[in-house]
Amino acid sequence: MNLLAQIITWINGLTNTLGKFLLTPPIAGLSGWLSNTIISALLGPLLLIFFKYISNQSAIQRARDDMKAHMLALKLFKDSFSVTLRAPWGLFQGALRLLFHSIRPLLIMLVPVSLLLAQMGLWYQYRPLKPGEYTVVTMNLNGNSDSPWPAVTMKSTPAVELTTGPVRIFSQRQVCWEIKARQNSAEPLIFQVGDQEVEKELAIGDGFMRVSTDRPGGQWWDIFWHPAEKPFSDDSAVQSISIVYPERLSWTSGTDYWVLYFFVASLISALIFKPFLKVKI
Amino acid sequence: MHKDNGKLDRREFLKQSALTAVAFGAGLNATRVYASTKRRLSAGAANKVIVIGIDGMDPGLSERMMGQGLLPNFNRLRQAGGYTKLGTSIPPQSPVAWSNFINGAGPGTHGIFDFIHRDPQKQCAPFFSIAETVPGQGYWEMGDHKIQLDFWPFGHKLPQTLLRRQGTPFWDYLDQAGIWSHFYDLPADYPPSASKYGHHRCLSGLGTPDMLGGYGTYQHFAEDGPIRTRDEGGGRRSVIFFENHTSKPPLKLIGPTNNFLIRPEPTTIEFLVHRDLQARSAVIEIQGQKILLRQGQWSRWIKLDFDLSKPALDKHVSGICRFYLQEVAPNFRLYVSPINTDPSNPATKITEPPTFIKDISKELGLFYTTGFQEDHKALSNKVFSDAEYAAQAGMVLQERLNLLQYAMKHYDDGLLFFYFSSTDLQAHMFWWDSNEKHPTRSAAQAKHYFNHIKKLYQKLDAVVGDILNRYGDKATVFVMSDHGFANFKRQFNLNTWLRQNGYIQPAQATSVLADVDWSRTRAYGLGINGLYLNLKGRERDGIVAPGSQREELLQTLVSQLEAVRDTNGQRVIRKVHRADKVYSGQATALAPDLIVGYCRGYRASWDTCLGGMTDEILLDNDSAWSADHCADVSEVPGVLFSNKPIAARAPALVDMAPSILTEFGLNIPDSMVGKSVFKT
Repeated sequence: MNLLAQIITWINGLTNTLGKFLLTPPIAGLSGWLSNTIISALLGPLLLIFFKYISNQSAIQRARDDMKAHMLALKLFKDSFSVTLRAPWGLFQGALRLLFHSIRPLLIMLVPVSLLLAQMGLWYQYRPLKPGEYTVVTMNLNGNSDSPWPAVTMKSTPAVELTTGPVRIFSQRQVCWEIKARQNSAEPLIFQVGDQEVEKELAIGDGFMRVSTDRPGGQWWDIFWHPAEKPFSDDSAVQSISIVYPERLSWTSGTDYWVLYFFVASLISALIFKPFLKVKI
Repeated sequence: MHKDNGKLDRREFLKQSALTAVAFGAGLNATRVYASTKRRLSAGAANKVIVIGIDGMDPGLSERMMGQGLLPNFNRLRQAGGYTKLGTSIPPQSPVAWSNFINGAGPGTHGIFDFIHRDPQKQCAPFFSIAETVPGQGYWEMGDHKIQLDFWPFGHKLPQTLLRRQGTPFWDYLDQAGIWSHFYDLPADYPPSASKYGHHRCLSGLGTPDMLGGYGTYQHFAEDGPIRTRDEGGGRRSVIFFENHTSKPPLKLIGPTNNFLIRPEPTTIEFLVHRDLQARSAVIEIQGQKILLRQGQWSRWIKLDFDLSKPALDKHVSGICRFYLQEVAPNFRLYVSPINTDPSNPATKITEPPTFIKDISKELGLFYTTGFQEDHKALSNKVFSDAEYAAQAGMVLQERLNLLQYAMKHYDDGLLFFYFSSTDLQAHMFWWDSNEKHPTRSAAQAKHYFNHIKKLYQKLDAVVGDILNRYGDKATVFVMSDHGFANFKRQFNLNTWLRQNGYIQPAQATSVLADVDWSRTRAYGLGINGLYLNLKGRERDGIVAPGSQREELLQTLVSQLEAVRDTNGQRVIRKVHRADKVYSGQATALAPDLIVGYCRGYRASWDTCLGGMTDEILLDNDSAWSADHCADVSEVPGVLFSNKPIAARAPALVDMAPSILTEFGLNIPDSMVGKSVFKT
């Protein structure tokens, strides 16, 4: 695992703790639309304040003032040919400066916002399995096509019934199982891979639970977007394990739509609070 | 039935004809909106009438089993006076029979005379009798695509599928009177007729195509499959190669035809199969889904997305299929069911109102939506073994039983009609009520699978028992079949007989669709029971003059055909009916001149259905399709059970609609010829 992956793994440990502490009460206890609305409404002003302190507010103010001046010039001296030519250029330059002064804070904000989205995605992107539903578990193994195959088994648990598998996909070094959820559970699936025992989180239940689709390997990108579980080390016989969960159907807190709703709601909230917080954007 | 000689058989024709019934034009036009699924009460008296249609339930077998105490619930009805044989249609084919039921009158009113009709103006060009697709008119070209705008000022016409059945269906009278009717899997009603007053719900049954436009086309992949994909009646076979136990090249699943292309071609979905010999299992990867199957295991219904995109329009249609892993090694074999319309997101209108199917799917999930659900073609083409077909048919029945539970849950009053196809499509393949040699099975196997039919009757007896327990004292309950069943041991080639007797010329002719000299041909057979004169003024190349020449020819044909005997002296044809004697009404234009009614054990040969000729007139049936009902009307009556005593002495299908209307206190319309079965 490279340094970046190790850093992200360490950060994930922190965000998981924070995420569980801060997000569990509203999301697990409220309806989806309400929890997403509350989080968005709180996050909008919070991000605005964050922006205020990591951006060059005076430079932004100057750029905005310059743009206002050029617009005013356009209005006042519309009969002047030279002003009519210069003012739009000045406006364009002002817009570029505004963009320049926004890029750095936006890039900085991208990190915490992405970490937050990764945590929120655990709740909203998929729903847990319901008892009676089937799904497929896929384990990716390390090695190449010539590497020997370790003995792989999934341990039985009262929460799930193993309906088919293990079935090996030789060309992709994968092992697959089909399982049927039997009862509500947050207990992990346990696998024996050679002499190594590995776990994968599993969520069965109604309503909202943290749903981790993938336990990733050493790729920093995968670790970033699948923060819930500890990644497999490079020397592990297992590269990753994934579980297919059903999509959540909701315009406000369902698969994919929750992100859209979050951005719109937080933007509206930020715009409402902007005059009170005196933030220049 | 696929034939080695390359000619089409009846079912293959039906499939190809139904290709004309490409449904997607019609369905996409559906605009009616169904308000909600709230329960409704009918206007006026809250009567309840329940009709259970059991296709092909035979009175002979039923009576025997009732006598043996094997059908206690049916027997209970019989002992209370609620049982009689039910006269079927001429001819006893399901589309004709159910149309008689629907109109309360004979084929002269609904215009359905056979599975197959012919266009006399095109000199016997065959077509599917129940529905037709009218091609679109006008379009703009945009690259390879055509753009059709069906609004002003463009006025292009989209293709649409039309129901050919004529006359007024009896539920229209209920609809008008504010009485609710609920039909599940109604035959001969695709596309479903529209409700004028909104008191009618219907899920189309027999006649509803799959997404390839036919009656159901399975796709089969095997290591010993043909190198080039081969179409066979009702299915297609392809070879599968493995590299490192993964299919290579990827397999292609054929989907609906993209009619947005100027030169329409089928859509395809690529998928991979990975096999694990040790686990005797496989993983199928298709459109981001992984499906794990053990050898002998069926998948659940899988949703598939077919891309019909065209310029500036992202158009997709959803279909569903099931995979069945038949064998992993030594010969990997994978069956894919016909691609059915997705009931949760239908691309075509298969219910009235269009949203009815979605309401059902919300509760029941995905299920078969084609008319022919039991894949008898897979058995006929030896893709399925007998046991595999029985298992698949069992799954279909379970889905229907789930649907019946849904139907009863959402039924308050009015008419509830529910249809079971299992007795028909399983009997075609498993019925063998004889000690004679079966076409394809040993005596022990034939007995075993005939017992399977008996068990099916017992299951349906239990279903009827449940309905009687729930509604016996609240509703009038009918259990009916459209016809009975008989062994199909010997085939009669009508056209060969006509050729040998000089009615078809030349003497070397092989098919009325290919090499007949119409200037010397006086009569020909097409469809399962139809015989047509080459009548001057009606057929394009007609030579038989109307009047005395026609009359003389008809009389001669009737007497000669009824005299036909098999090599053992057995009578082959029970009766030849003259259309002008047995049909009356406004819809007789396409009727055959004679309807050949076969004796039990006989039927028109497979080749006859599409005008083919063979060397011999009479030959053994060698198909797994070993039982049939396309005989004479007197040979294969259906059954009628009711929880009220039946007074009519010889009721027939045409009496059912009048009986139902009478139960609701409505008058019998003049268009109907039947009367209530509860009156003498």
